Amino acid sequence: MGETLVAVGGAFLAAGLLARLGRRVGLPTIPFFMVAGILFGPGTPGVVLVEEPEDLELLAALGLVLLLFHLGLEFSLDDLIGGGRKLLAAGAVYLGLNVGGGLALGFALGWGTREAFVIAGAVGISSSAIATKLLVELRRLANPESRLILGIIVVEDIFLAFYLAILQPVLGESDGLGDAALEFGRAFAFLVLLAATARWGARWVGKVVDASDDELLTVCFVGVAVLAAGVAEEFGVSDGIGAFMAGLILAETAAHERIERLVLPLRDAFAALFFFAFGLTVDPGDFGSVALPVAVAVVVSLVLNLTAGIITARMHGYSRGPAANVGLTVLGRGEFSLILATLAAAAGLDDRIGPFVAEYVLVLALAGPLLASRSGLIARRIPPRLVGETPPTESGSLDAQRMG
Amino acid sequence: MSNEIEEQELPGIGRRYRLAGRDGGSAVVVIHHSGRRDLYVMAADAEAPQATLALTDRQARTLGAVLSGAYFTPAVVEEMEAVIGDILIDWVTLRPDSPGADRSIAELEIRRRTRMTVAAVARDTGTIIAPEPTEVLRAGDRLVVVGRREDLAAFTQHVIGAASG
Repeated sequence: MGETLVAVGGAFLAAGLLARLGRRVGLPTIPFFMVAGILFGPGTPGVVLVEEPEDLELLAALGLVLLLFHLGLEFSLDDLIGGGRKLLAAGAVYLGLNVGGGLALGFALGWGTREAFVIAGAVGISSSAIATKLLVELRRLANPESRLILGIIVVEDIFLAFYLAILQPVLGESDGLGDAALEFGRAFAFLVLLAATARWGARWVGKVVDASDDELLTVCFVGVAVLAAGVAEEFGVSDGIGAFMAGLILAETAAHERIERLVLPLRDAFAALFFFAFGLTVDPGDFGSVALPVAVAVVVSLVLNLTAGIITARMHGYSRGPAANVGLTVLGRGEFSLILATLAAAAGLDDRIGPFVAEYVLVLALAGPLLASRSGLIARRIPPRLVGETPPTESGSLDAQRMG
Repeated sequence: MSNEIEEQELPGIGRRYRLAGRDGGSAVVVIHHSGRRDLYVMAADAEAPQATLALTDRQARTLGAVLSGAYFTPAVVEEMEAVIGDILIDWVTLRPDSPGADRSIAELEIRRRTRMTVAAVARDTGTIIAPEPTEVLRAGDRLVVVGRREDLAAFTQHVIGAASG
C-alpha cells in the first residue's frame, strides 16, 4: 500500500510543481500535467513513479468522470439560445471546418476508419479550459469578439456530448451489421432514459442528493456521477457521456450551484491525475515516427482556425484583429483530445493514435496561448480584403459618424 | 450619448455590461458567475483595454457605492449627501453645543426659517420617521434633512451651529 501511496502522491506533486513552472510564464496546466506523466513514467529514463499505467487506472477514470460531469453541470441551453443564431452559426462554421478537416486528415493518414473518426474529434475540438482561461488572462472579456469565442466553445461542448454518444458504439467491436445495430439501439435507449430523467425526473434525483450540508451533498453527487458513468459503460455508451448526463440531470436541481462549487476542487485534483496517467502511456521514442502527421495536423489546424476566425469575423462585421483573436484563442487543444485518445486506446485502435494526439496536444496547448497573446502581429498579416475591410478612405466618415 | 447600458450574456463566464463614456470610450463590467467582477476601460476604437481591474464581490459593491455617491462609513456620517434632481438629502448630527439641541422642531421654526424639512431623526432609542413639530431634538441625534442645496448652509448654521474644530 505504501508503494502505491508514494506513487499517487508523487504523481500529484510532480504534476502540480511542473504546471506551476508553466503558469509562471502564462502557459496552461494540461500539457504540463501530461509531460509530468511522460517524464516520471516508464517511457523515459530517470525516476519512474509509476511502472504500470494501470495502477492509476481507477483514479484517472475518476478524473475523466469528474471532468465530464462538471461539463454537463455547467452546460446551459439558455446560454446558447440567449446567444442567438449568430453564435450557433459561428460554432457550426468552426466545427464544420475543423472536424471536417480532422476527418479528412484521419482518412488521409490511412490508419483505419475508426481511427479517422477519433482523429476528427481530437483535431477538431478545442480545449474549453484553455480558451476560457486565455480570455480572462489576456483581459479580453470586454472585446466584442470574446462573446463569439465563448459561443463557439459552448457549441463545441454540445457537439462533444453528441459525438461521444455515437463514438462508443462505433468503436465497439461488433460482428456484423445486426450486432452493431443492437449495440447502437441499446446505447441510444440508455441515453434517451438519461435525457428523460434530466427533463422530467430531476426533481426526484434532487431530493435524493440534496442534503443541506455540504459533506453529504458531496458524497451523494459523486455517487450519482460515478454510478451513471459505470452504468453507461456497461450499456456500451462511454463512461464520459454517462457522467455528462449525470451533470445535466443535477444541473436541473436546486442544489445545482452548490454542486458546481463543490465539484471544482475534486475535478481539478483527479483531472490532473487523468492527464498524468495519459502521459504515462506515452513513450517519447514514438514521437519521431508520428512527427510528420503531427506537423501536418498542426498546420491544418492553424490554417482552419484562422479561416474560421476570418469567416465568423466577416459574419459579425469585425476587422482583422478580432478575426485573429477568434481563430487563435480556440486553437489550444487539451482535455477533449486526450479523452478521445484514451477512448481509442481502450478500444484497441491503432497504437499510433496515443503518441500522435499527445504530441499534437503538446504543440497546440503551448503554441495556442503563445500565438493568441501575440494575435496582433498575426492579424497584421491577414490581407484586409479577406475580412471585407476597406483601407483608410472610410475612416473619415467613421469619425463624422461619431461626432454626430 | 445615452445613459443606456448594453447588456450581454457571456456563455460560461457570466454577464457583460457596457456603458459609453463621454469621449467615445466605454467602461465594460464583466460579472463572473463566481462573483468576480472585471472592470475594463476602453478608449475609443481601441482593440485592447487601457486599464483593467479585477474586484471581489465586496470590493465591487464598495466601488459601486462610491460611484453612486451613496458610500459612507459611520465616521464621516455628516458628509453623506445625495442629490436627486433639485432635491438634496443630507444627514447631519447634532452636537451638545448645537443651537438646535434640546429644542423642538416647532420652536426652531426650521421649515419657515431654513426652507428645509427634517424627514427623520435617528437616535439610539429608535428612529422617528417624519417627526412631529413638537419633537425635541437632542445632542447625538442624526437628522435626515430634505431640501434645496442652497438652503443647506442656513439650516446647518441655524440648527447645528458652526463646525467645531
